[in-house]
Amino acid sequence: MSHEQNKNLIELSQVTKSFPLASGTFQALKEVTVNIQKGKLVAITGKSGSGKSTLLNVIAGIDKPTHGSVLINGVHVEKLPESALATWRGKNIGVVFQFFQLLPTLTILENVMLPMDFCNSYPKKDRKERALSLLNLVNIKEQADKLPSALSGGQQQRAAIARALANDPPIIIADEPTGNLDSQTATSIFELFAALTKAGKTVIIVTHEKDFSGYFEDSISIADGVVVNEVVNA
Amino acid sequence: MQTRYNKAFRDLTSDYSKNFMLILAIAIGVFGIGSILGGYGVIKREMTDNYMSTVPASATIEMEESLTKSLVDSVRQFPGIKEAERHATLVARMKVGEKWYPLLLFVVDDFKNKKTNKPFFVSGEHEPATGAMLVERTAFVVMQANEGDELVIKTPNGHPQKVKLSGTVHDPGLAPAWQEQTGFGYITLATLHQLGEAQGFDQLRILVSEQPLSRQHITERAQAVGEWLKQSNHSIHEIQVPPPGKHPHQSQMSAVMSIFIVFSFLILILGSILVATSMATLMVKQVRQIGVMKTIGASSTQITTLYITMIVILCVVALLIAIPLSRLAASLFYNQIAVLLNIEIRNNSIPYWVPLLQIAAGIIIPLAAAAFPVIRGSKISVRNALDNHGVSQKHFDENSWAVKFSKLSVFSETFRLSVRNVFRQRSRLTMTLGLLAAGGAMFMTAMNVSEAWNKNLKRIYVQRLYDLEIKLNNPIHADSIIEKIKSIKGVKNVEGCNQASTSVSKSNSVEVTNTYPDKGHGSFTMQALPVPTRQLNLTLAEGKWLNNSKANDVVLNQNARGSFKIGDGISLSLDGKPTVWTITGFTEDVGAPATAYVSLEVFSRLTNTSGQAKVLRVSYFDRSKENAIRKNREIEKLLEKEKISVSATIPVWLLQNAIAAHMKVLINSLMAMAILMAIVGTLGLMSTMSMNILERTREIGVMRAIGATPGKIRNLVVWEGLLIGALSFFIAFAFALVLSTFLGRFIGNMAFRTPLSLTISVVALIVWILLIVIGSYVATLYPARRANKITTREALAYE
Repeated sequence: MSHEQNKNLIELSQVTKSFPLASGTFQALKEVTVNIQKGKLVAITGKSGSGKSTLLNVIAGIDKPTHGSVLINGVHVEKLPESALATWRGKNIGVVFQFFQLLPTLTILENVMLPMDFCNSYPKKDRKERALSLLNLVNIKEQADKLPSALSGGQQQRAAIARALANDPPIIIADEPTGNLDSQTATSIFELFAALTKAGKTVIIVTHEKDFSGYFEDSISIADGVVVNEVVNA
Repeated sequence: MQTRYNKAFRDLTSDYSKNFMLILAIAIGVFGIGSILGGYGVIKREMTDNYMSTVPASATIEMEESLTKSLVDSVRQFPGIKEAERHATLVARMKVGEKWYPLLLFVVDDFKNKKTNKPFFVSGEHEPATGAMLVERTAFVVMQANEGDELVIKTPNGHPQKVKLSGTVHDPGLAPAWQEQTGFGYITLATLHQLGEAQGFDQLRILVSEQPLSRQHITERAQAVGEWLKQSNHSIHEIQVPPPGKHPHQSQMSAVMSIFIVFSFLILILGSILVATSMATLMVKQVRQIGVMKTIGASSTQITTLYITMIVILCVVALLIAIPLSRLAASLFYNQIAVLLNIEIRNNSIPYWVPLLQIAAGIIIPLAAAAFPVIRGSKISVRNALDNHGVSQKHFDENSWAVKFSKLSVFSETFRLSVRNVFRQRSRLTMTLGLLAAGGAMFMTAMNVSEAWNKNLKRIYVQRLYDLEIKLNNPIHADSIIEKIKSIKGVKNVEGCNQASTSVSKSNSVEVTNTYPDKGHGSFTMQALPVPTRQLNLTLAEGKWLNNSKANDVVLNQNARGSFKIGDGISLSLDGKPTVWTITGFTEDVGAPATAYVSLEVFSRLTNTSGQAKVLRVSYFDRSKENAIRKNREIEKLLEKEKISVSATIPVWLLQNAIAAHMKVLINSLMAMAILMAIVGTLGLMSTMSMNILERTREIGVMRAIGATPGKIRNLVVWEGLLIGALSFFIAFAFALVLSTFLGRFIGNMAFRTPLSLTISVVALIVWILLIVIGSYVATLYPARRANKITTREALAYE
């Protein structure tokens, strides 16, 4: 592995995230410091309510840290205004949700083209071709003109991954992407993620599933908002 | 097309029923505005064009003597005078069946070359032969005759004679004859003489050559002509200068139209509130999608633009539907008004600014209304959007009054849940209540005002204790005839009085009035009554009624009041001479033109008619219309037998009919507005209920999972709708009271120069309650059905 590959793509330093609740302030993350290298498939694990999804959200710029810094690819994400954050996220982070979250009134193809439209990242004439090649990559090209409701869960998640790749972001994050899928489909999705890391993407996945631990190069375990174990393979 | 707009378009086409409702809401408002403004635009233009095309005389100078042709020629040469013409107008009577109706006869000098107040030829003879008459087209209904028929006419000094109705004309300067319950006929001087009148042309109509629309200039010129005539030893009775360029009903019509315009904009605003509530629904449904879009790179501006585009598309569709329909409704509206104004629609093009305004209003107002939910929805943070699972919990705590109220033991569990659900989304509840309350308030206001109008019309009978007014051509010693009338069975009372046209006189100048050529509109009358009178019971607004038969006291009604105060002296012309009076009171009369009430004794002394009467007022024990018609006939026969020359007999029921006909269109249109309001209000409730159910899909799934039957779910939803409807009713009622007061004041002042009293229509209350109950039930049926159609599994999985 080259020096360049070992360079930290994501650096979280002393990140605290608090949420005000009726019963008082809840600290979801407590002074978390995490570094993630480029090109890795990283697992974030922990029990429900441990803070793993919040950590993912902080990386994606969905949540802003209460304290601490989030440096991604040289950009201090916590300092970006909301308006700039959306475009930055669109170009740098591909997000895959547990429930796929494809827009129900758009076809699969249009769902994949949408991020390119929002971020104006590819010339209009090229977008369809790119979206089709991404669908081909995730093996659902033939489903391109169907609406999400016509697809199986696994196919929808593949489409969601294709959408996450639309703007060619260096980082893919996924919050329990296989939580709603059967084990066979889940395996194929993990294989897809593994292939993406081989292509140079950094993939961070929040997961409960121990069966797929073999796919991960690094892992971060969280409990009560604190990183309790961090395994980094050089 | 950019991919995001595919989403906008598909979202719109994916829920037809919902979007149809939105389009309907906008379309109703745009339709209302277009119909009213379109009608208004055409009527305003055509009313002026029709009226001006008759070349209305700038002024009419009424002489005490006949005018010669050479004198008219001299006036034509007078500085500032463009045209002069001699004319005569006479109030006669016509026999229709067994009843006598007033007939206004216009005596024309030269039918072929008429210079002023020109009627338009419709059919039959262009110039009536001696013994024949042209008839204004709207008068045939009153005459119950057709062109070519004969009609019995009696002039003040003549015997009843048959006159042939030889032609039809249209005179846009006159109100419809059926509205005035009067006939309008055009005859030659020879016919007038044949009918038994010796008079010649005693009116001089003039047109000024400059500033034809300046009342001040016209008055100056007419007074100058009057002074010149006086200096040339001619006697002048009065100068009439009707409002220049204004149809007799123009100010009335403008006021009516202004109410309609206000109402139609209110409908659009209501429709827009509905759009706002519906857009809020849409945003609720889309909030997770917004989160997803933001996650994949959409900015708030892009999302706002996306949803604004959706609203604009809805608006455009609504406009495409509403504009053509509103043009159709406008044509029905202006044709109806044209009948009421007796005008001909010669150019039916709707002014260009009407569709432009519709487009502007139909896009800008809904956009403004929907801007808040759209911007709020677009600005939601990704985190909040993705975490959104429907209704918020934050408004609820155990101590809230809604919770305490719902805990009352009389309520079922379902009802309790409904009460609490109603108050879960307070901002939406406020908006829905606002919408329903506004609709209800306007509905009840329209009905209240309509009832107040009818009630006020009935005051005619309260204020006028007589049932028949008989106007005589000449003052008579009336004691004997009064006794004879009194002896007719069923007659309660008879009173002799007098009256004369008058005006507020200024020193050394000829009297100038606002009277139109029909002698009714704009006139000012002095009524001389016995003190005390037993035939009038007028509403006293200020001061005191006449109580001294020997004093020069005068009581003015609201139409004559002007800026006078109690105790002011006022100079009123009587037979062309100024007479001085002291104002002691002001009345509010229903259906009377400007009137000054004075003592008969003083009036008789001033006019040298002591012991004489020119008007007889008769009251009956039975005041029904049927009895009045019978008794009136008996009295008419008696007067004929006694050879008393009658100029007009005016039954009070006829007067009431005439006033009712004037405002019929307003009342009917108010009711139409009320119905539109009710539709928009119900749509609003439907929208809110859909939204409430939509965002609780998951919750309903949970209820179903723990055993709630479809019936229970339906009851829950229906109770919610009924509760919202019930709450809105109380607010609507309170608003209706305020609105009815203001609108009643406006319409009353416009029509009667006195406010309509606040009237609460019980029918309106009942109808609105029924509408609310039925509307709430119907409005909740669809969402309830939808809630029950989703399977428990789907509902639980609903994101």
